[in-house]
Amino acid sequence: MKVMIVDDESAIREALGRKLAREGYDVVLCKDGLEALKEFHNRRPDLVILDIVMPEGMDGLTVCRRIREVADTPVMMLSANAITEADIIDGLNAGADEYLTKPVRLGEFVARVAAILRRSSLTTTDGEQKYDDGYLSVDLHRRHVHVSGKKIHLTPTEFKLLAVLMESSGRVVHQRDLLEQVWGREYIDDVYYPRVYISQLRRKIERDAANPAYILTEHRVGYRFERQPNVTAR
Amino acid sequence: MVSGENAVALLVNGLTLAVALTLLIILLWHDSRSEVTQFFSVFLGLIMCWNLGALLAQAGALVSLPSGFQRIPLIILELGFTGSSIALYALTAALVKVFTRRFRALVLLALVLFGAYRVLLTVSGAPDPFVVQADGALSMASRSSLTLFYLVFDGASAYLLWRFQRKIRSRLLKAGLVAFIVGQTIGFLNPELSSFVIATVIAAFAALVIGFGILQQQIIRPLATRKSEVEALRNVIGSIANQTESGAVLQQVARQAAQVIGADAVGILLLDGDELVLKTAWELGVEPEAVRLARGHGMAWQSVLTKQLVQVEDYRRDWKGAPDFPIATEVFGAVMCTPLIAGGDPLGAMMAVASKQGRMFDREDAYLLQLLAAQAAVAVTQGHLFHEQSALTSAVEQSRNQLETVLASTDSPVIAIDRSFAVIFANPAAQALFGGFNPEMRGSIAELLPASAFPANLRGALRELRRNRTLTYEAEFGEQVFLAHVARLGGPRVEGWVTVLNDITQLKELDRLKSEMVRMTSHDLKNPLQAAMSNLELLRDDVYDDGTQDVRESVDAIDRQLMRMNRIIRGILDLERVKNGVIALEMCRPERIIKDAAQEMAEFAREHEVTLTSESAPDLPPVACDVEQFGRALINLVENAIKFTPSGGRVLLKAASHDGFVDFVVSDTGVGIAPDQQERVFDRFFRAKQKGVEHVSGSGLGLSLVKTIVANHKGQIWLDSEEKVGTTFTIRLPAAQDTGL
Repeated sequence: MKVMIVDDESAIREALGRKLAREGYDVVLCKDGLEALKEFHNRRPDLVILDIVMPEGMDGLTVCRRIREVADTPVMMLSANAITEADIIDGLNAGADEYLTKPVRLGEFVARVAAILRRSSLTTTDGEQKYDDGYLSVDLHRRHVHVSGKKIHLTPTEFKLLAVLMESSGRVVHQRDLLEQVWGREYIDDVYYPRVYISQLRRKIERDAANPAYILTEHRVGYRFERQPNVTAR
Repeated sequence: MVSGENAVALLVNGLTLAVALTLLIILLWHDSRSEVTQFFSVFLGLIMCWNLGALLAQAGALVSLPSGFQRIPLIILELGFTGSSIALYALTAALVKVFTRRFRALVLLALVLFGAYRVLLTVSGAPDPFVVQADGALSMASRSSLTLFYLVFDGASAYLLWRFQRKIRSRLLKAGLVAFIVGQTIGFLNPELSSFVIATVIAAFAALVIGFGILQQQIIRPLATRKSEVEALRNVIGSIANQTESGAVLQQVARQAAQVIGADAVGILLLDGDELVLKTAWELGVEPEAVRLARGHGMAWQSVLTKQLVQVEDYRRDWKGAPDFPIATEVFGAVMCTPLIAGGDPLGAMMAVASKQGRMFDREDAYLLQLLAAQAAVAVTQGHLFHEQSALTSAVEQSRNQLETVLASTDSPVIAIDRSFAVIFANPAAQALFGGFNPEMRGSIAELLPASAFPANLRGALRELRRNRTLTYEAEFGEQVFLAHVARLGGPRVEGWVTVLNDITQLKELDRLKSEMVRMTSHDLKNPLQAAMSNLELLRDDVYDDGTQDVRESVDAIDRQLMRMNRIIRGILDLERVKNGVIALEMCRPERIIKDAAQEMAEFAREHEVTLTSESAPDLPPVACDVEQFGRALINLVENAIKFTPSGGRVLLKAASHDGFVDFVVSDTGVGIAPDQQERVFDRFFRAKQKGVEHVSGSGLGLSLVKTIVANHKGQIWLDSEEKVGTTFTIRLPAAQDTGL
């Protein structure tokens, strides 16, 4: 497993890199956004860990967006300037799968890295593998999603979220269950994750994200996937 | 032969008495129940008996009736003569109003006695007192029993007339009464003078004069005075209506009273605290305001205290109390004093005075004085009310001016609108905001201000106004931001609203700069912290197990200090976060919140050698809370508890539920908080000074943050503490309805 760490502080970059190396990961270290993008194309890491505030023009959010344009590689934000939940949501909206605030203990850091990699490599198992109502079609096995016949890209987290909801389609999935199943046990309190990803998912698959038909919110409880009648049958 | 003079005299007498009878009829028709009229009718009847007797006796003598028959007219004459002297006394007494309670009975008794005496005389064969000669000339026997009656009754009448001459105002009446007495006296002259006929004529004339005098007193004079009374009242009422100054009205009342009542002087005294002060004096001989009567002094006070009319006929003789004025005993004759009463409370007194030689006051005068007193009371009350109202008006005007000056000089715009949202007031600062506002326009507020100046949710804002009576929101005018405080105008019914705008543009900018600074600081502090912590952990991996005890202790110390730094930074940022952040409520299990908080603080407790235990009651209902924020609040409390508990102490964190609430309780066996500091511990930057705790690190932000978070959750927080025993903090949140998940 190859992990890229992007941070302008060399002390942090190197300490984290050394820890991951000790845990058996291949580590690529970058000092700014431009270098990160270059290395991303060259080395194709399995996980990118991004600082947000960096000098030299390109910040972590931009790097994340650029990566998202070309790949579904999981991205972890590691930032010192997040104060409010809105800051974290901004990061997640840029396409990050994970947002950690500094300072973070190395033990937790390693655990989160492991979790995010496990998540991205996870394939769906049993249950229905395919869904198609003419507008939205999902092939869980091949990880293909089409909307109106056009293929769309979902990040591993988004895909995993959709898969979990579809497996329980028609039933409410509690927020905590969603967190545990999609992100992992250690994320159970990070309640803003589902909110951000659900809204992104809606933007990608719903006809009208403001009035969702597929993914419905059960206020203060969780979310529910609702199958839609087949439009091609008409 | 009957002398010609006699015949003429009898004829004149007849005519005279006929006229007197006419007057009597008028009097009876006017008021037959008046005692004076009744006595006058008896009196006149008896004089007619007298004349009739005289006529018949002379006529009998002419036709030479037998002597037995001749006696009858003489008896009638005697009855008339004597009876009229009794009736004269009765009439005089009635006129001067001096008679005892059984007066009528006494007069009747006198008549009966006279009758009985006369019968006794006749039976005993005594000669008749009246003698008629053959030529018809009448005379009285010189030595007659009639003299006794004459002396008693005419004498009594003459005495009454002299003693109470002031009580009979009509001179004509007095003259008539005197003439009658003189007339009867003439009848007692020697028979040789043939004076009895003259006596009869004088008596008949006197009766006519008396009749006319009574007519004047009973009918003509009252009619005349009524006119002047009505005029006086009209003047008084007119002056009350025209004058606002009660002094002028009182002067008018006093003058009119003097004229109408016929008093020589009138004074009006008003209550001033515990004294009666002479406000107005008419011919009283004392200066107004110079006389101040202490409570209970004088007739004036008596009338005020009793709320009744007080009256004396002779001030020196009849008034036993302290004199009203120093000169009063010397110069006052009859005095009446009546209270001025308004709304049942006495305001003062009005006094009518007659000089020693002046007249007496009768009941009509008293009524008139009371009537005028009532008008004076109205004038005084009206004067008071007018003064009060003027004072009130000027006070209101003054405060209005002050308020307007304040409002005009303040830089904060102030706008008042009515129920239809029309602007009813705008100070200069507000008018500048409108941009060319004309106060006369009274335009709708919505047309004058941009939409951004109103609350985003107008309906919600109105609802809040209705509930809380006040509303605070941020209003934007282009670049400027105002904090708008709205309060409703009017009592139970809403008459409008007033808004005060405070320019907070600079404050907002400052706040933004501060947040920016906190952000930058946090970033600049957290990066080195991350680097230090990461490297320390790597170092620990490498050297901890193999290193010496000193190395291990050093690594632990550095780690502890780094964590402490982290907590301080996080504390500052938490406050910033809670202040800005919207809380995200979700269903949470209390036991889990407790467990997480206890886990997080376990190491901190170990470091301080404090036993931290957590417990949850079974089957707790879930609560709606923001896990992140509420967790921080609990952790803050636990952290505080550990900090202020000496090593070896205990901290307990527990959750329990009752009555639809869930309580999160953090109790310690620490130093406790002094009672005078307990209220302030939730203040920002307040650090309680605890004895026995030399230095405890912290920013002082902890409890204010906790309080803010609890308030965001619509919960309550309070503490119970005893010094050297420990402190218990309790957070109470409403239990959420269990959704079954």
